[in-house]
Amino acid sequence: MNDALATGLGGLAVLVALIALRMPIAYAMILVGGVGVALLNGPDIFMSQLKTLAYGQFSIYDLSVVPMFVLMGAIATRAGLSRDLFRAAAAWLGWLPGGAAMSAIAACAGFGAVCGSSLATASTMGQVALPELRRLGYSDALATGTLAAGGVLGILIPPSVVLVIYAVIVEANIVTMFMAALIPGILAVLLFLATIALYVRLRPEAGPAAPRPTRAELTEASLRVLPVLGIFALVIGGIYLGFFNPTPAASIGAFLVWIYGAARGTVGLKALRGALLETARTTGMIYLILLGAEMLKIFMSRGGVPQAMAEWMANSGLAPMAVLLILLAALIALGCLMDSLSMILLVIPFFWPALVEINGGDYVPAAEAAFGMTTEDLKVWFGILALIVVELGLITPPVGMNVFVISALSGGVPMRRTFLGVAPFFFAELIRVGLLIALPALTLWLPRALS
Amino acid sequence: QEYVFKLHHFLSAKAPAHARMLEPWARRVEANSGGKVKIEIYPAMSLGGKPPELIQQVRDGVVDLVWTVNGYTPGAFPRTEAFELPGVFLNDPAAANVAMRRMFDDELSKDYDGVEVMFLHVHAGQGIHMVDKLVRKPEDFAGLKLRIPTRTGAWAIEALGAAPVAMPVPELPQALSKKVVDGALIPWEIIAPLRLQQQTRYQIEGHDQTRIGTTTFQVSMNKARWDSLPDDVKKAFRDASDEDWLREVGRIWRASDDAGIALAVSAGNEHVVLTPEETDALLAALEPVQRRWIEEVSARGIDGAALIARARALMAQNASR
Amino acid sequence: MTRENARPAAGDMAGGAARGPHDAPDHAPDDAPGPFERALARAAELWALGGGALLCAVVLMNVWSVVASAVAGAPFPGDFELTEMGVCVAVFAFLPHCQMSGANVTADIFTMGASRRWLAAFSLAGSLAALCFSALLLWRMWFGMTDQMTYGYTTAILQIPHWQAFALILPSLALLAAASAATLARDLRALLRS
Ligand code: NA
Ligand code: NA
Repeated sequence: MNDALATGLGGLAVLVALIALRMPIAYAMILVGGVGVALLNGPDIFMSQLKTLAYGQFSIYDLSVVPMFVLMGAIATRAGLSRDLFRAAAAWLGWLPGGAAMSAIAACAGFGAVCGSSLATASTMGQVALPELRRLGYSDALATGTLAAGGVLGILIPPSVVLVIYAVIVEANIVTMFMAALIPGILAVLLFLATIALYVRLRPEAGPAAPRPTRAELTEASLRVLPVLGIFALVIGGIYLGFFNPTPAASIGAFLVWIYGAARGTVGLKALRGALLETARTTGMIYLILLGAEMLKIFMSRGGVPQAMAEWMANSGLAPMAVLLILLAALIALGCLMDSLSMILLVIPFFWPALVEINGGDYVPAAEAAFGMTTEDLKVWFGILALIVVELGLITPPVGMNVFVISALSGGVPMRRTFLGVAPFFFAELIRVGLLIALPALTLWLPRALS
Repeated sequence: QEYVFKLHHFLSAKAPAHARMLEPWARRVEANSGGKVKIEIYPAMSLGGKPPELIQQVRDGVVDLVWTVNGYTPGAFPRTEAFELPGVFLNDPAAANVAMRRMFDDELSKDYDGVEVMFLHVHAGQGIHMVDKLVRKPEDFAGLKLRIPTRTGAWAIEALGAAPVAMPVPELPQALSKKVVDGALIPWEIIAPLRLQQQTRYQIEGHDQTRIGTTTFQVSMNKARWDSLPDDVKKAFRDASDEDWLREVGRIWRASDDAGIALAVSAGNEHVVLTPEETDALLAALEPVQRRWIEEVSARGIDGAALIARARALMAQNASR
Repeated sequence: MTRENARPAAGDMAGGAARGPHDAPDHAPDDAPGPFERALARAAELWALGGGALLCAVVLMNVWSVVASAVAGAPFPGDFELTEMGVCVAVFAFLPHCQMSGANVTADIFTMGASRRWLAAFSLAGSLAALCFSALLLWRMWFGMTDQMTYGYTTAILQIPHWQAFALILPSLALLAAASAATLARDLRALLRS
């Protein structure tokens, strides 16, 4: 092992120790980055860089879409969108065996289309759907497991905050990433629905069917959900079709959700105040981690770590696909301990240069590339795979945040039962990762077709 | 090696500016120093920050050397900006590079407090890339949305009656393909990395490769670091950055530019070259930009008219074409 | 495990699942915040709402720009740089409220079984880090602002001097330092009591 790798590993060890001792992740990164640079090149450099670094990081245009989507989700949570979505989905699917759980998945997907965060989706939909599943006599495991898994769709269906951060780190086009995420997102919904169908086939008592709705109920519920679909179509459709860039699109989305809530009387001054404070907490937290990650990157670059890591991996003699699988497995393992954003920020800056190196460099033609695709395509494909596996961390034990949120909402379902309930969905996700690895076209086709 | 320098810049290591300009220059310095100097190049902002921070990083000694675009900090290099103006820079990067060197001590150096400039250079000039509308006359620009290249480039777009739109370079292909903008002012050299041949139909330039102004770049060292160097090391840097090198830099950028337009043409794009009369009409319509600039810098006590006159004279004197 | 203590979305209703280290059940009644702490929390909240209002203004400006660009072919002049600057100033304004409300991502898997004394000590270390960093950043960004003035850095289209944004950010950092001091005092009290 050379000096650079030793520096990197030493820094990472201290970082993990600090994080384990409950130091906020942002400050742990800032501390390791700052002290690391000072040890490598003297304290003056870090002091000078602090004059402008935070200002520069916080004013990156591509990142401005993050607070906008957070705001949109925060208002959507309070606007009553979730109830309309679930009612419409239940009208269509509720009468099937396991139908109410399927409706919850569909509604989570719909909510994910206006919200960029998993936890927000899980908790918002959980509040609406859990009581209904309970009332219908669903088993605790299926009810809570479904909602914990459904929350993950908040990130997998664009827009997605984690995807924006990934795009900024690897310099990918955000619009391309959003396009690439759509088919895998729909695939996730289908696999989740299939999982529920299989579950209730094996255990019919876990998910009894609801009575069929009347035609009038069906029409009414469907009509009420049209505004949500309209907003999603305008925001994401507008981005896909290129009417506007992500930041203006997110602004329009936040604005329309606000108007919708105000018109329905659900978003008044008090709700807006709550939405703004929630946006402040979530955005402040994300940006502080971004700043910490930048400082850590400076330390690692000065130590020559990313280059050494890329060379080491390229010369490891492992098959490219084996390296990819190891990386994904490492992310799943890390997901047991860390949140998705911190993982992406901590790990991608090292993994990505290594993958580029293995693939054959930035401008390698697809025919000569180790992964059989250009590095531009690899960036998109790997990004979607990484997104899925880091989100799995939300539903894996020992602790998954979505499971926490749903268990708390359920008021009494033990965490262990929720983890059991979510396990089938975890395996559905592994199947999906397998499909996406085997068929890169699932990810790459839509961006190509649309551009 | 006794002297190790970190050179920081914003493009990837595969960009021509890195591979064909910065790498060879660094190797020249190292060779001149007889092995006393080592220059480590850090591409793609890998030492942190975003591109506009580069100039402050070198002023503060966060890094030893930077290559950066003057326009990232608009208005911070007012004298050098004369070379970016449409109608001042026409078509000869090598001549512009040499002219900036000759004007440096007396006229331009006041722009560069806190840094020691190794060399200044320009790219081959802003060409006009259009999605589907052919523009030949000033009237054709009315009501169009064009992506700005520089501060004064925005003024040029306004002078033509079009709306200037600012956006990061990576977003340009998407914006063009969806007609968020109708076109862009940017050199041909950018065609290959952004695959602009796919989003545009017309590449338009004036007669004899006349462009709508250009962008100035600098390679600079932290002032204190420079002052601490012994004369022989200073000489290694100076010799590597002589006027022959400046002409070579002009050729390097011209070659990347030619490669870009060749790619566009081979992809079926139309390379439109305006007639001398059309070129003159366009430059005449851009005349207000120079006046606006002269007025603005005079408020800061700078004789803009004299800078333009001297720049023109020196570029003519050192013409490479 | 990682906790996103900001209670992202609807977390207000999600109860204890995603609570911050300083939130209710951990604290005995005698941990109730003093008047100074309450006033500071209020100030941080108002300041964050000011940032939120600025964010809303940026949202409206972007909406305006899209509509004007589609209808009249003329986007809001400088929309790009106003978005960058506005979001940046707003995010700095959010930070004091984050600190006061414990909105930091922390991992507590290894410390789940730790005693209250140790938890208070860890929390104290986090507050100390926040205090040191905010004070350091305040000091350094003051010089950042004077640099921006000295060299006349401005935005490209509207030519807004960047130091003006710094001037709005420095109070946020001062408030962040004060908030960190308050959480530090709170953690210290908790440590002494345990
Ligand atoms: Na989403
Ligand atoms: Na987990």
